[in-house]
Amino acid sequence: MTAIRRLVRPEQLREISLLILIVLACLFFSTQINGFLSGRTFARVSTSVAIITVVAVGQTLVVLTRNIDLSVGSIVGFCAYFVGMQFTFDRTIPPAAAVAMAIGVGALMGGFNGLLVAYARVPAIIVTLGTLAIYRGLLVEYGNARTVTTANLPSWLVGLQPTNLFSIGDIDIRLMAFIAIVVVLVFQLGLGYLQFGRRLYAIGSNPDAARIAGIPARRTVFLAYVMCGALAGLGGFMFLVRFGDITIVAAQGLELQVVAAVVVGGVNIFGGSGTMFGAMLGAVMIGTLEYSLTRMTWISQFWKDALLGGFILAAVAADAIILTRIRKFWARTELTLAAPVSETPEVRRAAGD
Amino acid sequence: MKKVLVLLILASLLAMTSVAIARDVVVAEPGQEVRMLLLPKFLGILVFDEANQGALEAAAELENPAPLIFDGPTPENSVAGQIEIVTNAVTQGIQALMISNNAGDQIAPAAQAALDAGLTVVTWDSPIPSAVGEQVFVAQVDFNETGKVLADMALSILGEEGGQFAILSASPDAANQNAWIAAMQEVLASDPAYANLELLTIVYGNDQSEESYNQALGLVDAYPELDLIVAPTSVGGPAAAKALQDEGLCGEGTDNSVVVTGLMLPSEVLAYVENGCIPEFALWSFVDLGYLTYYVTYLLATGAIEAEPGVMFEAGRMGTYEITEDPTRENGLRVLMGPFSIYNIENIYAAVGMEAPE
Repeated sequence: MTAIRRLVRPEQLREISLLILIVLACLFFSTQINGFLSGRTFARVSTSVAIITVVAVGQTLVVLTRNIDLSVGSIVGFCAYFVGMQFTFDRTIPPAAAVAMAIGVGALMGGFNGLLVAYARVPAIIVTLGTLAIYRGLLVEYGNARTVTTANLPSWLVGLQPTNLFSIGDIDIRLMAFIAIVVVLVFQLGLGYLQFGRRLYAIGSNPDAARIAGIPARRTVFLAYVMCGALAGLGGFMFLVRFGDITIVAAQGLELQVVAAVVVGGVNIFGGSGTMFGAMLGAVMIGTLEYSLTRMTWISQFWKDALLGGFILAAVAADAIILTRIRKFWARTELTLAAPVSETPEVRRAAGD
Repeated sequence: MKKVLVLLILASLLAMTSVAIARDVVVAEPGQEVRMLLLPKFLGILVFDEANQGALEAAAELENPAPLIFDGPTPENSVAGQIEIVTNAVTQGIQALMISNNAGDQIAPAAQAALDAGLTVVTWDSPIPSAVGEQVFVAQVDFNETGKVLADMALSILGEEGGQFAILSASPDAANQNAWIAAMQEVLASDPAYANLELLTIVYGNDQSEESYNQALGLVDAYPELDLIVAPTSVGGPAAAKALQDEGLCGEGTDNSVVVTGLMLPSEVLAYVENGCIPEFALWSFVDLGYLTYYVTYLLATGAIEAEPGVMFEAGRMGTYEITEDPTRENGLRVLMGPFSIYNIENIYAAVGMEAPE
């Protein structure tokens, strides 16, 4: 027991409580919708959540440092459109060059955000609200009322979306979902084991202390924005693959879905705590709810957004309650294991009383 | 020489008046200067750009020395942006406004102010619902005809034995789409020829590719017997076709078990017409709509015609039109353009200006 307690802290159980909630939600919807628990549902949710997850990983990097990036929707839209347009001019662009182009343009846009936030010290919400409009405006100007259509895209690109990598029984792991999982794993490991990752937590927990401790806060925040932009660029490429027909309103409002996924996933909006797994589970939670509501055809369209909001609130509230319980339970076992000296002030504080 | 000239002028004057008496059709006098502004719902969508091309064509024909201004708000700022542009047009010396209204009746005060300041205000594509502040509305098609066209395409795709279909619309509060769907439902109910067509549900993709794509997937999951998706929106149609194609329900190598039809742009759905996901669809020409709108506005602004029911005029290559009461609104006048063009694999290459492959 002591060994387990040393290894696992209540904060790390956040993901587990969210996972339990997703399972509960699936069980509930399976009683409402015919054939809900099937490989088809998995394929639907996993592919529709893939793009949000990749962008949410980038967003998490930024949110951990006590900042935010609201321009990701515009970056995704711009990159999807920009790369699609390049194919319209030249269909022979190799796949690797197309992906690199999307990531590069995204990183540039993220870098501009990072410069203003980290070096010019403009509040992140103001900078990224501004660039949200600027990047969308650039797209409108660049787009010049043309639409990227699937007819102009090479066939390998159009064929990526339905590509299935491998199947486990009834469950297909599609390429898009696989990309998202790889991104989550890589960045989760980076957060845990790289100096850069730990610095993000330090800056978000206490910016002043981090600076005094000699952490290059500006450079770290700048890099977080560059990576967030790069991942949004990758998301833009995936967006192009999935939807094919790209207009200048592409991915408008995506930033809100991404921020919702990050917050539902337990990443603290005031920085300093949260994981990539959490962000992914937040995206999966919202994706599951959205898909289920789409399937519940007897519910009026006008109510669906309100219901989705209600479900998300319920999930976050349930998550908070479960987490508090676990914390108290932890404190109690600590108490019984530690010593018979029960009601010391430390214990009471740890119990959250 | 002078006599000949006078005679010529007299003769031409006589000819003009005799035409006017005979057909009562007003013909525009080219070369007059009118500073005109074409205002789309927002910038960056192909249909509005096509309307601008049509307006430019008319401007060249009418030899208006003042250049046509094409300006509009960005997509996310459409309503407030339109009102701002209309308000500013008065002080910027604009003489005639052509508005594709996206702001409902909220734009009426600004449009009325422009009208009071002596500007000509014409709406096209989408009118001001109350008709306050607008002289005449240039309607693309009759909204009831739209319902008939949608029902006919569903019938021609599903055939005599019929089948089940669903509608994928734009937003739940889009006035034109709702009117078309209502008209389609009326046609389905009133004529026994459509008795075998079963409308399952109406869903909304809010004119976003993402939402439309997901809604199309939701439809095929919820209704295994679904045969057809009718999308009266140029964004929803291709998005639904892409979703069905990705799921292997239509396109090459499939039996086209679920397909899409509706109102779309030929250049945006070419790939899906080629692979069978969209066997047939319809639309009016936005180039013609822009062209006709320019003629109406020019005639009104130069005082050649008044905005009154029964006034007839000639709109260049498109022929003669009449201003009538608008039967689809309580108040207001309209010029009805029509008709629909139906597109399929036979004529889509011509529509997008391409050679049909062998």
